[in-house]
Amino acid sequence: MNGSAAAFLRRLVAPPPLRPPGALDERAFDALCIRCGRCIEVCPHRALLPAGVGAGYGLGTPMIEPRREPCWLCMKCPPVCPTGALRPVHEPRDAAMGRARVVEAGCYAFQGVLCRTCLDACPLQGEAIRQDTELRPAVTERCVGCGLCERRCPAPGSAIRVVPRGHRA
Amino acid sequence: MSLHAGDLATVGKPGPCRTASRRFGRWRRATQIAILLFYVALPFAGATSVTGTLVALKLGPVDLLEPAAALSAAFAARTVGWWLLLGVAPVALLAAALGPVYCSWLCSFGLLSETLDRLRPRRSRRWSGQPWVGVRRVRLSALAAFFALSLGLGLPLAALLAPPRLATALPIEALASSGLPIVTVSLLAAVLAIELLGPRRLVCRALCPVGALANLLRTPFSLRPRFDEQRCGCPDIAPCLQDCPWGIDPREMRLHDGCTTCLACVDRCPSGALSTSRRPSRGPIRGRSPGLHL
Repeated sequence: MNGSAAAFLRRLVAPPPLRPPGALDERAFDALCIRCGRCIEVCPHRALLPAGVGAGYGLGTPMIEPRREPCWLCMKCPPVCPTGALRPVHEPRDAAMGRARVVEAGCYAFQGVLCRTCLDACPLQGEAIRQDTELRPAVTERCVGCGLCERRCPAPGSAIRVVPRGHRA
Repeated sequence: MSLHAGDLATVGKPGPCRTASRRFGRWRRATQIAILLFYVALPFAGATSVTGTLVALKLGPVDLLEPAAALSAAFAARTVGWWLLLGVAPVALLAAALGPVYCSWLCSFGLLSETLDRLRPRRSRRWSGQPWVGVRRVRLSALAAFFALSLGLGLPLAALLAPPRLATALPIEALASSGLPIVTVSLLAAVLAIELLGPRRLVCRALCPVGALANLLRTPFSLRPRFDEQRCGCPDIAPCLQDCPWGIDPREMRLHDGCTTCLACVDRCPSGALSTSRRPSRGPIRGRSPGLHL
């Protein structure tokens, strides 16, 4: 099958999910990941799940659903990957999984309510999420996309959501 | 018609006549069950130094990779790394030295398949002719198709669909999602359905990429049943042939006949004509053909 047919198959399915730390870009990740389950097994928070049919090519690859269980950046999973689909990153700051985005319409702080739940939840305290002059959360480029803020946000359905790195902004 | 080892012991003229032993059979079953229990218990142990499944096992600093799954990923990603060579080498050497014992002694799916096989009606468990002749072609074509599709689609299909992976990843995924992992469960169910409803043990014999590659890795010096014609006193339909899970006649071994070194034939031999050896059998067998066809 040529490249364009494979690209067509890819387009039929949902955008890529949130990956564990150190993941290669989507195409290389789906190809190199042998679905051995070691990262899923080693995760102490059971945050990693095998992707379902909706993931298309990513079928069976590890993914994170932050609202179920976010990544706690313990960095135990990258070293156990046997094929290098997860590069061996050790620093939580290098996790590069994605970036959180504030949904202003739902965020309490944008409606004048004093809420800093996401800032308190952030493991990169004061670096990834900051308060602007009107005490509203603003995500900086230091955000690695762990999803702890998304998990804790009290707004219905979370007013701060991680956009996985694989998504086109 | 049925033959019993007891009847044949009286027929066999030379050699010490003994009834079937379960020497290898018992050890093999114990090994299979121990490995299955190991993979079921492993996710609950929460260990970080020992993790993995039958396609990739990490034992401290040692990283073992199943060759078919690893090659499939290398084809899909079109890359070669040290991980490939270092991980695959020990497993490939095992197959070269001992034959495809991965299938008969280690594989948890193999254990499931053997168990299902016992549920089959007796009639469908009988082989006719030389079943491994046609199967060999299917096995090689399936392996080639797996690798070609991996390369073309950029998806490591041989790893994704490998039955040993499905069987051993299930406990990990079930624990992580605290439920039934739908994809793995349905793939495993589909493969087991083929095994139960299709031709006898079709997945293990012909469709599994892991088994196909393990068979390719056999050499003339891999461990195999060795046949000593002088001591054999059995008729054409011998108990060893009847007990072979693949319908191979252990008196006429070929390099790529699909023998997985389970050694059931050696256990069953009433006269001691079959033993284990790293060397191919020699000499013409009953004037039909030489012992090992390359």
